[in-house]
Amino acid sequence: MSSTATRPDTSYLLRKLHSFTGILPVGAFLAEHFWSNSAALVSAEKYNTVSQELQTIPFRLIVEWAAIFLPMLFHGGYGIYIWLRGKSNVSAYPWVGNWLYVTQRYTGLIAFAYIGWHLYTERWLTHGRSTYANVAADMRNPWYLTFFVVGVLASSFHLGAGIWNFLCKWGLAATVKAQQAAGRLGALVGVAFSVVGILIIISFRYDWHPFSVYLPSK
Amino acid sequence: MRQPKIIVVGGGLAGLMATIRVAEAGIPVDLFSIVPVKRSHSVCAQGGINAAKNQKGEGDTVDKHFDDTIYGGDFLANQPLVKRMCEAAPGIIDLLDRMGVMFNRTPEGLLDYRRFGGTLYHRTAFAGATTGQQLLYALDEQVRRHEAEGKVKKFEGATFLSAVIDGGGVCRGICAMDLRTMEVKTFTADAVIFATGGNGAIFGRSTNSVVCTGSAQAALFQQGVDYANGEFIQVHPTAIPGEDKLRLMSESARGEGGRVWVPRNPAEKRPPKSIPEAERFYFLEEWYPKYGNLVPRDIATRAIHRIVYQEKLGIDGQPAVYLDVTHIPRETLDRKLEGILEIYEKFLGVDPRVEPMKVFPAMHYTMGGIWVNGEDQASNVPGIYAAGECEYQYHGANRLGANSLVSCIFGGGIAGRAAVKYAKNLENSAESTPAAVFDGERKRQEEKNHKLINQDGSENPITIWRELGQVMTEHVTVTRINKDLEMTDGKIRALQERYKKINLSDRTKWSNQTLNFARELENMLVLARVITLGALARNESRGAHYKPDYPDRDDANWLKTTRAKWVNNDIQLTYEPVDISLIKPRPRRYDAAK
Amino acid sequence: MAETKQVIVKVKRQAGPKEAARWEEFSLKWRPSMNVIICLRDIAENPVTRDGKKTTPVTYDSNCLEEICGSCAMLINGKARMACSALVDQLEQPIRIEPMSKFPLVRDLAVDRQFMFESLKRVKAWIPIDGTYNLGEGPRVSPEVQEKGYPLSNCITCGNCLEVCPQVNEHNQFVGAAIISQVRLFNMHPTGAMNKSERIAAIIGPGGIQECANAQNCVHACPKGIPLTESIAEVNRDAWKQALLSWLVG
Ligand SMILES: Cc1cc2nc3c(=O)[nH]c(=O)nc-3n(C[C@H](O)[C@H](O)[C@H](O)COP(=O)(O)OP(=O)(O)OC[C@H]3O[C@@H](n4cnc5c(N)ncnc54)[C@H](O)[C@@H]3O)c2cc1C
Ligand code: HEM
Ligand code: SF4
Ligand code: FES
Repeated sequence: MSSTATRPDTSYLLRKLHSFTGILPVGAFLAEHFWSNSAALVSAEKYNTVSQELQTIPFRLIVEWAAIFLPMLFHGGYGIYIWLRGKSNVSAYPWVGNWLYVTQRYTGLIAFAYIGWHLYTERWLTHGRSTYANVAADMRNPWYLTFFVVGVLASSFHLGAGIWNFLCKWGLAATVKAQQAAGRLGALVGVAFSVVGILIIISFRYDWHPFSVYLPSK
Repeated sequence: MRQPKIIVVGGGLAGLMATIRVAEAGIPVDLFSIVPVKRSHSVCAQGGINAAKNQKGEGDTVDKHFDDTIYGGDFLANQPLVKRMCEAAPGIIDLLDRMGVMFNRTPEGLLDYRRFGGTLYHRTAFAGATTGQQLLYALDEQVRRHEAEGKVKKFEGATFLSAVIDGGGVCRGICAMDLRTMEVKTFTADAVIFATGGNGAIFGRSTNSVVCTGSAQAALFQQGVDYANGEFIQVHPTAIPGEDKLRLMSESARGEGGRVWVPRNPAEKRPPKSIPEAERFYFLEEWYPKYGNLVPRDIATRAIHRIVYQEKLGIDGQPAVYLDVTHIPRETLDRKLEGILEIYEKFLGVDPRVEPMKVFPAMHYTMGGIWVNGEDQASNVPGIYAAGECEYQYHGANRLGANSLVSCIFGGGIAGRAAVKYAKNLENSAESTPAAVFDGERKRQEEKNHKLINQDGSENPITIWRELGQVMTEHVTVTRINKDLEMTDGKIRALQERYKKINLSDRTKWSNQTLNFARELENMLVLARVITLGALARNESRGAHYKPDYPDRDDANWLKTTRAKWVNNDIQLTYEPVDISLIKPRPRRYDAAK
Repeated sequence: MAETKQVIVKVKRQAGPKEAARWEEFSLKWRPSMNVIICLRDIAENPVTRDGKKTTPVTYDSNCLEEICGSCAMLINGKARMACSALVDQLEQPIRIEPMSKFPLVRDLAVDRQFMFESLKRVKAWIPIDGTYNLGEGPRVSPEVQEKGYPLSNCITCGNCLEVCPQVNEHNQFVGAAIISQVRLFNMHPTGAMNKSERIAAIIGPGGIQECANAQNCVHACPKGIPLTESIAEVNRDAWKQALLSWLVG
């Protein structure tokens, strides 16, 4: 068989791209973002150094758009399109996978809204020069704080469930056993991200730097 | 050259095989079936399909398969075609194998074979416990492929009402009803192959599927297509009693070592597992030491009837005996019998791996059927062919387990070829038939519908059907007594009178299943009489036909085929000799070497 | 004396695709090992509702009555399942019976599942043999492959897996889990594998495997216990490899 007859449908490519962008770069960016932000757990100075480091990478705008904003816009936008084409029935069939299916959609939307707002407040309003003080100040607003918590949990859940989805949907976890293992991996990621995310929020809100013990004593 | 056209009615194994053969010859086929062909009754077959491949090195040969079939059928089958079938069987298995049937395999990757009733050899290829389903799907897939290539056109959800037969007595097509629009239409064809299956529904509850009513055969019979050996009905010894259906417990349960027994003490109250070996009566093993639990179906059925009705040893006084597989390792059960054990568990809520099953005989297979010649499945009406369970050719007075699937595929294949040859050589093609012939048949059928829909009456078709089933099961299955048969015929005729007064509770013209059922019922009543009268006349015992008043086979008077004809709107029984040119009849006994 | 037990059944009636739907309630005599088909037959024999109104027998599909033909799928108490194996004693009453919602309605409980058969055509769910004349034995198949393939070939095309799938709906033409699983079956067979790429090409076409969102309802709803999620994953793996290759190689 010649491969010319085997051109996939555009919807196939878009769905695969959507799935892939969920992990790379969007998921990877989320991981990077949590990692760099956890500098706050060390100290405000460390946080500022790390952010400045990131805020001053060469070709920053291009990198931001190509590797973060556009993929995220695509993943989010196409994700909403996918959502609209599905028809949830979890009340009739309340199975775990079906719950994950629904939650995947709502957490995606929450994450989208949250990330948009987060970018607006921390990236746009600060002209890309957000500091520890900016963020800490925002956190004192209880509404902001709530939104931060919800957003972090939603993103973590979405990524965790997404990893499970991804491994199944690319056939990397095929057997029932492998899919169970993938599920455990996803759960682990979701929980780990949630915990780290909440710790970071606490750190900003309460000026709490548990890892400051690592710093050389002055 | 003129392009002939062929119609196949029925999409079970036989119909699909015929369809494939015709399509392969490059001739367009219209395939009619009540249910989507993939849902045909053939999916119910569980056990397997026979072919003397001698895969286990037991010295099995085609001749032995042939002999077992003839002997099992108590010498009533015409022998030459049966021989051809046995010769073709290994090739049929190869073909199915090539079509991708997921047959069970040996470690070497070859087909595995099991032992079935009525033979001493491992001759039965099987695919789990759903062999019929697997075979039907393989053929269905091939037909779908031909359909995708435009060679086959399916009319699923359409029922055959009657053949269109011209003034010269030649079949020119069919008249069918769309089961959604209820529209009656005629279709032209140079040859029509019927593969409409068995007629279990005449007995009310049976192991057959809902659409196995024999209605098509009966309709043809009333148009002059002869019906042979109607009285031969196989009752399966082990079925699970149920309200809507008697679900089969396949012979393979015994083939894998299942044992049939009852407590020796009729007043036994203990649960089966706690009854010690010595207090169990393994009556098949005791009465038939050579074949044991694997005696042919008629023998097993009568033995169970004897245990229950004469020895009064039925479990708890009920009509039931134990079929026990609890001693077989669970792993073997799950690998080889999972499907059939699941059926029991699903419909009775008891795990047969732990507790012996309760079973009782049930109407199972129609040996008789449309009369066809001994050559190429042609009926006595030119242009009409028949194959599969709806014809009478291969199983004589009793069918051996796992022989039906092979006969369906074999017969379907020959019918397909023969119809092609006939259609190609036809001098006046069906297209030249005057339109009036088709219009006339259509009007006749439309009028029937019109009358049924509009008439006011007091009788319910389902009630009539239930009564028919009861009387047929009671008197025309395992044990037949002439005065009861006479009574039964009277009862059927009374039902036919009542039928004239039926009242359809649904008079709409869209997807009206009541109307269709009423039409089938009328035909079932006719076929019920053919069966009963055939049984009444045959004063002997042969194969599945057992008369205590005539307990022996009577070759001098009855080694002949019953051939029922429709004459002056009534049934007339005629007889013709059986072709016994290859194997001389000998007594059929399973309690000793044959 | 014990009064006779009754079974209360509510059936969603609809005279045709364009007619309005309504519910009818029936009270039937209980019997041991009664299933939903028996209920429908009892109604046919005496089509009178609980409040004494005359009605028509219910139109529904059935054939084998042993869960092997795939005809009788419907919604029973809101869940897609086979009517012939739905035992009354295991169901909450009143038993609600409705037609499947993802297929065009014919009448009452009968729906048209032709879409599935058409999809089987699209993915070439068959082994392309040269002909039915005698060509000797088929290829050897190891017991391992047989043990994997046999369960897949048990699919009775009932449509339950489509009915419960949130991705199967009027917005798209998703072929559903059953068809994807058939692709895996035929690709697994030594002869079928020769046309593997054609089947994969079909399954990454419009309405193909990409529509699956991994809700995994199918595998719970399948009356035959077919490992559908495994099939989907396996086919997915072959699919992206082939798609990538076709994109790279052109
Ligand atoms: C429970 C069970 C288990 C069995 N196990 C075995 C076994 O292990 N081995 C074995 O060899 N045999 C077995 N048999 C027997 C075997 O299954 C059947 O004899 C065989 O499948 C019949 O196939 P067929 O093609 O003749 O008809 P069927 O499969 O019955 O098909 C009949 C076709 O005709 C159509 N049809 C009927 N009437 C009309 C009409 N009026 N208009 C249009 N279409 C119509 C139907 O829709 C259907 O497509 C078993 C039978 C049963 C009941
Ligand atoms: C925090 C940023 C996000 C990350 C890390 C992320 C990650 C992922 C991952 C890894 C997947 C699994 C891929 C797959 O299904 O194969 C996924 C799926 C999905 N995402 Fe996101 N996503 C994010 C944001 C969003 C947003 C904003 C939306 C918009 C609503 C969204 C909607 C979806 C949907 C609907 C799916 C399921 C797709 C399907 O079922 O086929 N995601 N996401
Ligand atoms: S995969 Fe299962 S649920 Fe789906 S159609 Fe086949 S048997 Fe039915
Ligand atoms: S009637 Fe065949 S599956 Fe229920």
